Amino acid sequence: MTALSGVSLTIGERETVAIVGENGAGKTTLVRHINGLLKPTKGSVLVDGVDTRKTTTATLARKVGIAFQNPDHQLFSDSVENEVKFAMTNLGFAPEVVAQRVDWALKFFGLEDYRSSSPLVLSGGEKKRLTLACILAWDPEVVVLDEPTVGQDALQKEKLAQIFRLLQSTGKTIVIVSHDVEFLWPIQPRLVVMSGGRVVAEGQISSVMQDRGLLDRARVIQPQLLRLHSELRDRPPAPFLDVSEARAWVEGRDSRQERR
Amino acid sequence: MFWLSGGFVFRRVVSPFHKLDPRVKLLLSLELFFLALVSSTVAEEGALIAVVLVVATVARSLRRIGRTVLFSSLFAAFIFAINLVFGLGLQSAILYSVRFLAIIGSTSVFFVTASPDELEQIMKWMRLPRDVVFAFVTAVRFIPVVMLDAFQIMDAQKSRGLEFEKGNIFARIRNMVPILIPLVVNSVIRSGELAEAMESRAYGSTPRPTSLYGMRTRWYDVVVAAASLVVFVTVTLYIYHLAPL
Amino acid sequence: MTINPRAAESKKTLATIEGLAFRYPDSKRRAVAGVDLEIGEGEIVLLAGPSGCGKSTLLRCINGLIPHMYPGEYSGSVTVGGLKVSSTPMSTLAQNVGLLFQNPENQIFMFSVERDVAFGLQNLSVPREEIRSRVDEAMKLLGISELAFRAPHELSDGQKQRAALAGVIAMRPKLIILDEPTSLLDPRTALEVVSLIEKLNRELGITFIVVEHRLELLVPIAHRLVVMDQGSKVMDGTPQEVLSDPRVEGYGIGVPAISRLYNALSKDGVGFSKVPETPEELARELNRA
Repeated sequence: MTALSGVSLTIGERETVAIVGENGAGKTTLVRHINGLLKPTKGSVLVDGVDTRKTTTATLARKVGIAFQNPDHQLFSDSVENEVKFAMTNLGFAPEVVAQRVDWALKFFGLEDYRSSSPLVLSGGEKKRLTLACILAWDPEVVVLDEPTVGQDALQKEKLAQIFRLLQSTGKTIVIVSHDVEFLWPIQPRLVVMSGGRVVAEGQISSVMQDRGLLDRARVIQPQLLRLHSELRDRPPAPFLDVSEARAWVEGRDSRQERR
Repeated sequence: MFWLSGGFVFRRVVSPFHKLDPRVKLLLSLELFFLALVSSTVAEEGALIAVVLVVATVARSLRRIGRTVLFSSLFAAFIFAINLVFGLGLQSAILYSVRFLAIIGSTSVFFVTASPDELEQIMKWMRLPRDVVFAFVTAVRFIPVVMLDAFQIMDAQKSRGLEFEKGNIFARIRNMVPILIPLVVNSVIRSGELAEAMESRAYGSTPRPTSLYGMRTRWYDVVVAAASLVVFVTVTLYIYHLAPL
Repeated sequence: MTINPRAAESKKTLATIEGLAFRYPDSKRRAVAGVDLEIGEGEIVLLAGPSGCGKSTLLRCINGLIPHMYPGEYSGSVTVGGLKVSSTPMSTLAQNVGLLFQNPENQIFMFSVERDVAFGLQNLSVPREEIRSRVDEAMKLLGISELAFRAPHELSDGQKQRAALAGVIAMRPKLIILDEPTSLLDPRTALEVVSLIEKLNRELGITFIVVEHRLELLVPIAHRLVVMDQGSKVMDGTPQEVLSDPRVEGYGIGVPAISRLYNALSKDGVGFSKVPETPEELARELNRA
């Protein structure tokens, strides 16, 4: 049974790419190829010029960090500090560097108070932050996030968006697998739509998501602001990225109308 | 390993054998198992394996059971070698390894043709406590889920640079810790969620819950069971009558 | 799909929560700190609030897991269908209140769908023929009759969710509580579950309480939106009322983009004839201007 078929995709340095599609469309299967967890039966996967079939996941892990959806599938150490150290120890980082990075990661993700606590007693949101901390601690160039917003409330998502912006500003290449179109929309990533193991569309999110027929077939929904934009008479050429843009347009339009 | 497990997982198939009362399936399997244990010549074991394969054919599961027996021969070869090493003689070595195959085949017949639901019915009929039956059925039900968990955990830890294949035996055992702890933790979490769901669906209200399905013994069940018993007793007598003690 | 916002008002009360407070034994603060809530028959109530606000605890107080399975410091009362939850055994409560948890995987015990749907009925010693008809009825309602003999690991997430729900529906509860039923589903499947809830509510009159972070999925069918924060109920009204109240954005819940836009525009004096619930409604309002 083929999970993926004829998938060709290029992800450039510093790009942010979002992969959407229904459950079972092959999104997670695809991203598992990026760090060599899965090797292609046909074709090849090149990461920074290196063929994944010729190397190990542990080697690729230096450049590619994947944060999986379920934190309970990763956390095992006796302390949060050791948990964050784990990957760097495996990857052979020098102890001083490890200590430094652990300090940074705990601080950045607000987990300093839990440094010596067991990771297993943290709340759901804290566990999620911890798994991100574990990945970002070793500073891989490529960060892959598998459904980072599932089960998160609004505040947690806002924090996640902040982390996202930071990652983008530090020039990381980001691949995010997500259903959450509302979360993705303001980020404006390049969008890859998958369905039945194939890539059915690719391009800038604002153009790809205008094709409602395509989205229906791939079982993806449009974000609210895009739906609003497409129903408006006299709409502006570019869809609204966020609420303030939409508000500015409406009020600008009203004042334009008043002046007539 | 995969092929081996294939012979112990139930698959929904329509066949004359599958239609039998689960207790008859158990009886036939136990008869074959017993005969596998007491047969004393390679010819007898061979005949038994042939019977297992014939039953597998009637159950339209020849490929699954046949494949399992075939791949068990790797382990059987190991048993053969061990016997030789310990100086038990060629005759015995061959006998024990073929016996192993017969045992695998006979137990496989039962597990391939009896669904966990039928297992549950048999256990209830045996008046095993409600909680024991439930624990067993639920455990079987979650085997594929736990396996999937294990693979996902391995993927997550490999992505953090963990390498299982490397190092001496001690390193390899140490590398199991990041897999085993999340597995255990997940199982504990799962048990908690299961307990909540069970309570919410009134589990425990009665020591003897009713059942959607019951076992019904039909005429062919009686015929098959009786016939098999006759054959079984005859063969057993034959083995003991002629076997040197 | 129109909902008459007045429809829920004319029905009688199904559940009453009065002064409910609960503290887990190993916790210093109360998870639920004095909640008063009335649920009317036939209502679909959307319950929202940030993580840790006490939603999950409240749900368990309504279906009886608290205090029967989780003892702790409990005060106040919860009454469902005339039954006082703290003094009614779970076996009776299970026939009045159903609770569907987030992960369908851990609610399916049996090796085949139909036997799992039968699970609750077997526990209640329902006779075999009745189990058969109720199981068939529940599977038909949920559209999973062809999946009767499938094993759970052969099902998709959406199918698992339906199977779990069928198992609850078979018990014929008057009230069904869903704890983040769509969080593990993709949006399309989530929408299918939402329309299923609406159908069950409309055809069978089942009352629903749904906890959900992605409010925009449930708002179109909800009669009421209740917001919790730090163990207390802080807002309660129709979705339009609550979402158009400027306080709502201060509670850390996922206020849909359309509602946020509406609130911002209203504050600036833009006129609307009604509170829009969907982007299409807002567009219609704006096109009228």
